[in-house]
Amino acid sequence: MKDPTVAEAWVATPLRRLMEDARLISGVLLYPSGRAVGQFGFSNAADVMSICALTSAINASSRELGRQLDGKPFQELHHAGAERQVFMARASAGAQEFLFVGVFDRESSLGVVEIYFAEFQKALEKLRPEQPSAAKISPPRDFEGELNRSLDALFGPIGKK
Amino acid sequence: MKAVGQVVAKLSHVPGVVAAMVVGANDGLIVETSAMMGATDGVGDPRKHTAALAAYLYSKVTRASQAARLGNPAFMRLEAEKGHICVVGARDVVLVAIVSPDANLGRVRLDMMTAARGE
Repeated sequence: MKDPTVAEAWVATPLRRLMEDARLISGVLLYPSGRAVGQFGFSNAADVMSICALTSAINASSRELGRQLDGKPFQELHHAGAERQVFMARASAGAQEFLFVGVFDRESSLGVVEIYFAEFQKALEKLRPEQPSAAKISPPRDFEGELNRSLDALFGPIGKK
Repeated sequence: MKAVGQVVAKLSHVPGVVAAMVVGANDGLIVETSAMMGATDGVGDPRKHTAALAAYLYSKVTRASQAARLGNPAFMRLEAEKGHICVVGARDVVLVAIVSPDANLGRVRLDMMTAARGE
């Protein structure tokens, strides 16, 4: 299993622990804006780009759906496929919100992923930097630009490898 | 198997059973659970973690048993410093019991296997 690649160093240890303990095949940690913070299990920036865009959109729509149905946003989402399952959930570190999407198979289970994700959340809260990173305090930019910059941080600039 | 509520209620009344649960075999999520008997040392409720990890462990034990050409496991007991975790498979669910060290394990085993057979 390859170590996670991260755009922010402080998430590396909790992300690796989540990957190992929950026996996840792949996963991406991102900001709700779609900017990737860390990933494991992917070697292709285009795959992470798709996942970030889709996760961000799913979060926005499921959050609104939860608000309309239950008066509050859904906390997590699970899809059980025939072979592989997808777990998607929100995590926070202080005021900063994150989204996590992970893929697992029969080597793990939803219950196992849930308990280690709860520990991951606690680790994020504990390890969060006192000062927000430069990227976080920069003014909001366009979605595509944010996504490309985060992918550059994870995989290196396209065409410069 | 009888209604899960009945199974849990019966198991939870066996002397020494601290908690009895019916857990999804594939997802490790609690289907039905009894209350925790006694104190929990001030720490959080251990049932959710125990359920998920016991179901996961049982699936690995099943693979080990099959790899050894022994068929499916009939009963799994994990002995720890302060008690036992007992697990029995029943098709799509597993019965999980957290048991105190001084419990009558023979009775626990018999009742869990009887419940799993649906008697």
